[in-house]
Amino acid sequence: MTSSLVKRAAIFTFATLVGVGPLIVFASASGASGSPHTAYQTTRKNAGTPNSSKVTLNPSTGVVISYGNKYITYNAPSTALVTLGQALFLQNCASCHGTEANGVPANGTVGSFPDLVGLGPATIDFWVDSGRMPAADVRAVQAIRHTPRLNPAQAVAIAAWVNSLSPSYPDIPTPNLKNANVSDGAALFALNCASCHTIEGDGDALASDTFSPSLRNIPAFEVVEAVRTGPANMPRFTGNLSDQQVDDIVKYVTTEIQHPNNPGGFGLGGLGPVAEGFVGLLLGVGILILIAYWVGERQ
Amino acid sequence: MSSDVVNTKRAKRQTAGPYGKVGNAINELDERLGVAKGGRTFMDKIFPDHWSFMLGEIALYSFVVLVITGIFLTLYYIPSTDLVTYHGSYLPLDGQRVTEAFSSSVNLSFAVRGGLLMRQMHHWACDIFVGSIVVHMARIFFTGAFRKPRELNWTIGTTLLILAIVNGFLGYSLPDDLVSGTGIRIAYSIILSIPLVGSYLGFWVFGGNFPGTTVIPRFYILHVLIVPLIIIGLVGAHLFLLVRQKHTQFPGKGRTEKNVVGTPMFPVFMAKTTGFLFVVSGVIALLGAFAQINPIWQFGPYTASRISYAVQPDWYMGFLDGALRIWPSWSFHSFGYTIPFEVLIPAVLLPGLLFNIAYVWPAIERRFTKDNALHNLLDRPSDRPKHTAAGVATLALLGMLFIASSTDVIANFFRLPLNEVLWAMRILVIISPFVAYPITWKICKEVQALHGGGKRKTANVVTRTALGEYVATPAPKYVDDEHQELDATPVPRFIVEGDEPESSGVRVADR
Repeated sequence: MTSSLVKRAAIFTFATLVGVGPLIVFASASGASGSPHTAYQTTRKNAGTPNSSKVTLNPSTGVVISYGNKYITYNAPSTALVTLGQALFLQNCASCHGTEANGVPANGTVGSFPDLVGLGPATIDFWVDSGRMPAADVRAVQAIRHTPRLNPAQAVAIAAWVNSLSPSYPDIPTPNLKNANVSDGAALFALNCASCHTIEGDGDALASDTFSPSLRNIPAFEVVEAVRTGPANMPRFTGNLSDQQVDDIVKYVTTEIQHPNNPGGFGLGGLGPVAEGFVGLLLGVGILILIAYWVGERQ
Repeated sequence: MSSDVVNTKRAKRQTAGPYGKVGNAINELDERLGVAKGGRTFMDKIFPDHWSFMLGEIALYSFVVLVITGIFLTLYYIPSTDLVTYHGSYLPLDGQRVTEAFSSSVNLSFAVRGGLLMRQMHHWACDIFVGSIVVHMARIFFTGAFRKPRELNWTIGTTLLILAIVNGFLGYSLPDDLVSGTGIRIAYSIILSIPLVGSYLGFWVFGGNFPGTTVIPRFYILHVLIVPLIIIGLVGAHLFLLVRQKHTQFPGKGRTEKNVVGTPMFPVFMAKTTGFLFVVSGVIALLGAFAQINPIWQFGPYTASRISYAVQPDWYMGFLDGALRIWPSWSFHSFGYTIPFEVLIPAVLLPGLLFNIAYVWPAIERRFTKDNALHNLLDRPSDRPKHTAAGVATLALLGMLFIASSTDVIANFFRLPLNEVLWAMRILVIISPFVAYPITWKICKEVQALHGGGKRKTANVVTRTALGEYVATPAPKYVDDEHQELDATPVPRFIVEGDEPESSGVRVADR
């Protein structure tokens, strides 16, 4: 009995070590371990939340104004915008999401119009600021990026009101690209993003009516919002990417994906070997056949 | 001025003899090696002038470009999977651990003067090489040039196509970038899918489990030495048989099964074909300079944990990729064995079947037509509707499989649902040959019924006689529409003096 207890304890300890060990190793490896900034580094468990970051509180109310580190600063939307936000929400969003932002079952289908309470300001800001919401076609499986109908300040105001219903995180991020490493970003992009967005960031069709959007034309903070909140089909990257890593990815996306150092001539629309095959066959072989036809006998 | 001054042109020519200094030198050579007879055969080799006979030349000359640019690339490429830290001019890769193969490929693109141009020319030349082989093969097939006595050359040509595709894939894999690494991974899985021997074969090719460290050096030596040597040897055999058996030709005035009408190798064809060599290399150079191909620096290095979406192989592997994409996920799991039919059928059996049919096609056709005669005159494709329809049906099937390799690109580009695109491609692949066959057959029949198709219509001159009778007389054909060709003049038998034809250009060679 005692020996089995000991055995169990030993197994438990071993399992804990095996299970947590890699986590510790990963957390220390993913952060700038050993650097003086480790204290501000978010870890696996609290990425995007103010748990262990440099937090600024409102001295009178004790509400979090901003948190983050030297890589990404998360700013809470100003509470002064709540009234405006509610008015905008009722005008633009309430017809689907309901006046309480809790989602309204459409034709008895619960969840057709999602409950927004507790999603955090970054989520609301992302959907509104990228022009996906208010939705152009509410029946579409996946909302398409449009010219935003509401300006950034209005998006923040709506986020402020929704967040006031049940305060949550992440707040609206501002990445500091000066501290980012574009090379690490390239490696992380290939590992985490390319499997859907393609390695050149052009996006592609994923399944029926769903697709990964192009990354060629999106602002830096929206990249962070998407990574941290996981809109639509996208996974929510919180635990496995630190703020530093997200900052690296954002730098890679906004520099090398959006303004690639791309010699070698006309890029053929980033369509890869499909376009290359068409050019090689139609333009290359085609022109040569025409020249053969030109110099050869035609009877 | 005395007459014994020999310093005049005429006197010099007389002392040099009837063949001149060059002629004398060649004569010396002939006395020792007997080159005159072979040289005469070579220089008198007759090439028909029809434009479709130049398709094979595109393949030959793009292969020349491949060899030249390839030699340049070997000077800078390092075939090694050893890990190095990249410190080059492409910043997004700076400090990453990459293989030496990838690092040297990026370096030869960015740091070597003209390196990127050479790499892009090499890749475009490859696309054009395989493409022109396919077009050339289609010409041979549709005109019936593969028939007796040229079955052996058809076999060599089919082997050359397979080798070109294989070598293209090997070369595509060498930079060890994310996209090509994915291709190698798929190739490994295809090998594994072969029942019984798959795992042994895979381990044998890759020197162990995927990815291993030996695959890049092995692919390299195959790509730059072994396969090109076989290709060069087979090209030599291909051309030797071409000279030995002489060209086919389209039927026409003065053309029979017993002769071949065209321009001789020297000087007319040699000048023309040398010009065409420069045209082919010029087009490839323009593509290399102005159209980007395979930007490996954007793809980054390959590691087994990374994958990019929207990855297709080069076009000549597209039909395989398409078949893999649309095949339903059937597999066999029992008695402790797994047979992945979803890989085995589209990626092993299908290409095996296709190329085997290509190999035995001359025999199949002879069995059906019972035609055992020698054929030196070509068919118009419309003259043999079943044959042409079978060829078009096969091309339609392959074309649809090729399009199926870009289901995701089609879905994204036209904003269509991916699953429906996949299903549409499944249906199109199956029905396309059955649609193509009767349409082609009908078109051939219609073309047969046309006389003077493509020619301008001549007027019917209607006159009324004195008795009031109307008579319609067709006006003569336009001069441009008549086949204009010089009358063929016979080629001398090897070295016979004073029998050279006056007009250069067109000759008849007796078989």
